Amino acid sequence: MSMDSRAVVVGAGMAGLVSAIRLRQAGMDVTLVTQGIGGIQLGQGTIDVLGYVPERVLGQPLAAVTAYGNAHPHHPYAILSADDVRAGVEFLRALLPDTFVGDLERNYLLPTAIGALRPTALPQVTMAEGECTPGKQMVFVGLRQLKDFWPELVAGNVARTELPGGGRVSTRAAWLDLPARANEVDSTPLYYARAMDDPAYRKRFVDALRRVVEPGETVGLPGVLGLADRGAFADITAQLGQPVFEISTIPPSVPGMRLNDALTRLAKDARVKVVLGSQVLCANIDGGRIRSLTVGTTGRPTEYAGEHFVFAPGGFESGGIELDSYMKVSEPTLGLPLWVPEGDLVVADHNAAQPLFSVGVRFDHDMRVLDTAGDTVHENLHVAGGILAGASRWQEKSGDGIALASAVRAADAILESVQNLEGARNA
Amino acid sequence: MPEPLEYPKAMLTRATLDACIKCTICETACPVSAVTPLFPGPKFVGPQAERFRDGESVDHSLDYCSSCGACTLACPQGVQIAELNSQARAVMKEDNMPLRDKLIGQTVLMGKVMTPFAPIANAALGNKLVRTVVEKTVGVHRDAPMPTARLHTFQGWMKKHQPPASPRTRGPVVFFSGCAGGYFEVETSIKTVEVLEHLGYEVIAPKQGCCGLAQQSNGLFDEATKSVLKLCDQLRSGGKDLTIVSASGSCAGMLKHEAHEIMGVDEEKLHDVGTRMREISEFLLELHAAGDLPTDFVRNDITVPYHAPCQLKSQGMGMPAITVMELIPGVKVIESGRACCGIAGTYGLKKEKYDIAQAVGQPLFDMVKEKNEGIAVCDTETCRWQIEKGSGVKTVHPIWLVHKAYGLS
Amino acid sequence: MRTIDTDVVVIGGGATGAGVVRDVAMRGYRAVLLERADLAQGTTGRYHGLLHSGGRYVVSDPRSATECAEENIILTRIHADAVETTGGLFVSTPGDDPEFPDRFLAGATASKVPAEEISVGQALRREPRLNPGIFRAIAVEDGSVDGWQMTWGTVNSAKAYGAQILPYHEVTGIERDGDQVRRVRAHDHKNGEDVTIDCTFVINCGGPWAGLIAGLAGCHDVEVVPGRGIMIAMNHRLVNTVVNRCIYPTDGDIIVPVHTVSIIGTTDVKASDADRLTIPADEVQEMLDSGEAMIPGFRQSRAVHAWAGARPLVKDTRVSATDTRHMSRGMSILDHHDRDGLKGLLTITGGKLTTYRLMAKNVVDEMCQQLGDTRPCRTAEEAVPKSESGKTYVVTHRLEDREADRMEEQIICECELMSRKMFLEEMRGRPSANLDDIRRVTRLGMGPCQGGFCSTRAAGLALHDGLIDVGRANGLLELFLKNRWIGLWPILYGAQVRQTALDQWIFSGTLDIEHLPEPEKAVL
Repeated sequence: MSMDSRAVVVGAGMAGLVSAIRLRQAGMDVTLVTQGIGGIQLGQGTIDVLGYVPERVLGQPLAAVTAYGNAHPHHPYAILSADDVRAGVEFLRALLPDTFVGDLERNYLLPTAIGALRPTALPQVTMAEGECTPGKQMVFVGLRQLKDFWPELVAGNVARTELPGGGRVSTRAAWLDLPARANEVDSTPLYYARAMDDPAYRKRFVDALRRVVEPGETVGLPGVLGLADRGAFADITAQLGQPVFEISTIPPSVPGMRLNDALTRLAKDARVKVVLGSQVLCANIDGGRIRSLTVGTTGRPTEYAGEHFVFAPGGFESGGIELDSYMKVSEPTLGLPLWVPEGDLVVADHNAAQPLFSVGVRFDHDMRVLDTAGDTVHENLHVAGGILAGASRWQEKSGDGIALASAVRAADAILESVQNLEGARNA
Repeated sequence: MPEPLEYPKAMLTRATLDACIKCTICETACPVSAVTPLFPGPKFVGPQAERFRDGESVDHSLDYCSSCGACTLACPQGVQIAELNSQARAVMKEDNMPLRDKLIGQTVLMGKVMTPFAPIANAALGNKLVRTVVEKTVGVHRDAPMPTARLHTFQGWMKKHQPPASPRTRGPVVFFSGCAGGYFEVETSIKTVEVLEHLGYEVIAPKQGCCGLAQQSNGLFDEATKSVLKLCDQLRSGGKDLTIVSASGSCAGMLKHEAHEIMGVDEEKLHDVGTRMREISEFLLELHAAGDLPTDFVRNDITVPYHAPCQLKSQGMGMPAITVMELIPGVKVIESGRACCGIAGTYGLKKEKYDIAQAVGQPLFDMVKEKNEGIAVCDTETCRWQIEKGSGVKTVHPIWLVHKAYGLS
Repeated sequence: MRTIDTDVVVIGGGATGAGVVRDVAMRGYRAVLLERADLAQGTTGRYHGLLHSGGRYVVSDPRSATECAEENIILTRIHADAVETTGGLFVSTPGDDPEFPDRFLAGATASKVPAEEISVGQALRREPRLNPGIFRAIAVEDGSVDGWQMTWGTVNSAKAYGAQILPYHEVTGIERDGDQVRRVRAHDHKNGEDVTIDCTFVINCGGPWAGLIAGLAGCHDVEVVPGRGIMIAMNHRLVNTVVNRCIYPTDGDIIVPVHTVSIIGTTDVKASDADRLTIPADEVQEMLDSGEAMIPGFRQSRAVHAWAGARPLVKDTRVSATDTRHMSRGMSILDHHDRDGLKGLLTITGGKLTTYRLMAKNVVDEMCQQLGDTRPCRTAEEAVPKSESGKTYVVTHRLEDREADRMEEQIICECELMSRKMFLEEMRGRPSANLDDIRRVTRLGMGPCQGGFCSTRAAGLALHDGLIDVGRANGLLELFLKNRWIGLWPILYGAQVRQTALDQWIFSGTLDIEHLPEPEKAVL
């Protein structure tokens, strides 16, 4: 492929990074523009495909994707197929080998940091032993200097939960008093994870752990088992000689950071030109195509020209979509048309999935944005990730599946269009 | 209670704290809190503490912030975290500025004083006993990397310098050396001018003072504002509407955005200079994108570890130096992936911050030691001194590679 | 069933009830305070935090103005730790009545409210975010006061004088012996227990609920109209001085810096039920427009929470039934002996937070007179516990405290800088408290994240400390988030939407909170 084909990707979350890497791997010149670090590290670091419909999905999440898409015509899974999801997930797995477990044939059921049992398709290797099966004995171990993991809460709730096939896990809570750094009483999971990168600290940690763990117990820890040193988890398990797993905490989520760091490194090493710290201000349109994006770099704005654009700024959580004080929703960067569900956008029931968060852009199978009439907005603009309309990602546990499927579809649609063009030229 | 700093733009910076959603991304990016619990971290001292400030800074631990800006750069929500910290520190220091912070801020003074007596000054700064006295009296750590003064200043060279005889096909550009490029890193300035002239530019280098960055990062906003505005006048005297090129990434950043965003300087002359300012790699990459950069480079088979300084990263333009260097056949760049070398302008010089700065830089030093084939590359002077001191590897500006590739050295 | 024998029962744990029980106790009576929920959970905790200088009333109600000016000085002294002496400004924004400032200055002189006109330039230097188009500015001595902290300070003082304070005790009956009040029955909601209190005097300080309470004693037709006002807390201190519009008192004409936030208030609409106050969208919009008039860019600023409070206004036939602002704001004491032939019952209602102490003094004076006692009021002379130093609150306090102890203590609520120690001290003192009870005294979850990061920490810590079991931990968490949402969803726009999205991501996405095992029983 010709290096003259330039793509500009907006956003450094799962969708932005994955589509940028895929385009770059295909030989395209790729610039990725992002206002800050993407949101992967705010999540739990697993690959969720579909967990609730709203009943819990245990077997065959891909089949559930198809059924859910059929039943919900406005949901991204009505456009993105189970095959797209598989392609997206497999691409990520190939990028990050030895990171995940799971085969997309079933969902794992893993305890969260407050002890709910959460379904996910692909946990990280470090989490797999957390699977709850009847009769299993688990000890959840808290760290006195870490305030985001309370083992009594996890143990208490896991023990009170009747497992889907019947039966329960027996649980216990324990504590370690082991600062991540000398004289520190208020560490985030990140400081522990950095400490765990040091083999000497790991040894001290396992020695302390041994004193509170009993034979036959599976050990549940907060998600702190190493950041840069990918061997940390295996080392801790081997030293302890008992099964160990980690549970993602509220941000900063170390398992999420690992994914973010690895994908960012892959993108940079592949020479995706990452422009960090600048906001896209607007698009410069020529005919039905975007010619360039104006980016608010310091000093003065810079234009990033390209033939293809992937827009993956995320949803409301990152300002990809906004609601102003007059209660009007908008996509503030490119002014894209938004799909808005009928009825109240915000409802008084605090437990409801707020309809507001399903607002987003509509799209076709090439991930091109569609307007309300169903027409393509810009020929060469493709969207991916959290900006897509129709999902309740957090309640459904569907965010990663949507992001990966849409990112790979967006990249492939671009690559297909270039091939078609080159084919036409050659003919 | 000191008066709140009175300028409207500071209030705007405070307004960005509304965008903070407490997500902790800035904390994960902070190189200082990563190595010491003494610094409570950017979220804490930035948007969090700011809500408790009322023109008074009572949380003195914010002085552990190195102002590297990694937090602002990482923030996906647009909170000007480092800027908030810098402003709070300026308020805090209004009445009790240590002598040391005032001295360090006076970059021109240091350069001017040192140049005529260069061998003596270097010997003195290299002398452990003298450095110990300096540490005791003004608080600059005895092992901190200090600049090496040159026998000639850049301006001295420029006066005697004859441009190539070939026609100046591309018109004039203004060259901004920065203090370090004027007094200490004269070689880098010279190479930059030679590359520009090789490309066919006429290079104008008006007399120029300090941009005030060091004063700003030490909370001396009034002095820094005076410096930067004076510099703007000087650079504007080089010619109206001309592109201004700099090989000093951090000083370019001060003119492009920091003087405005951190100190609230809102004058037309700053805006004029800021919009015309180009860091040299950025300038060359723009030429390349327009198809105007000759790439008749001499092959150079070398792998270089490269560290983009904080103040270059915070200009939000990516890392143009990587692309430029890799246009040279044989050059392979390994990006450090590290937020900061630790020096952060003058932070790492201070005796109570020295160990922290070394700890911040250590992973970078290790990486440079492991990956280098004789040189490392970095765009900013103080960072180069820090990396060179920490790793023992000669560290040069990217323009050195370009200069060589054009057969100029 | 518990029985208690006392002299005076005070019903209602707002500022007035707390003030009354303190006054009664300081005069040497045995006293019991009954509050059906938590202290200061009603009107006292649901206002904008203004400690009046009196300025607001110099034209409309000079007598109130004078009272406010006098009480302001007293409260600043006796409740120093709850009061911030911010100062206040009355400013004329473009389009405001140009005559009013002169009437204001004349009124201030007449009612002895300190006021001084300053130049527009001075006002803008003091508050740089103010609308640069303001054309008059008058400086007054407004302050801000934390109603919860003030009430707790008051009851702690009362306790020191022997009073019993019983929150979560709802009055179920007031019994008489002939024409004399003899007994109050109450239900303890936390323990599910009934309590009987024998007494000789009852003072009804029920605020908007005073009519219902009087009804329990068989005294009917005490009409207290709840005047609903909404308030919105903005994410940070847009101003450090109280800013009022210099106009005849109306909706949305004041911004008060309280702790880390600034509060805009308020509306005034007759409500039918003080227990079911809404935060209507049109009133939110009205507040934002008013904010914009005083501070350009107000709409782009971040709102973090909204609430509605009910003013207790005694119905006065002289004004139309729908306009509660112009009903009597002054305090009213109803003597049920005169009115209903029942001895030993007084109802006090109306008034303002700033004059709570004076109201208490007046009603207790009346009681003493009826009892034939001559015991003087001493509440103005003595500071409440923790205010003895006379050092008033400043917003930097907590930052300074955490600077001092952050290497020894975890911070549980980062937005409001509440430490682990602060939380445990409160929770251990009241193990039956819910997280909102703790919130009112510690500011847990009141900052920008609105509980996104701190609420699971608080529930987990209370469980870890052995104060509650896991079922209650889940229940407390659920209740806290439910209550936070009441004040969030009506102002969900701008940056708070991003925050809420992240909070939902955390709670649903990461923690899967909606699939926690059910709490064992509904918690209180």
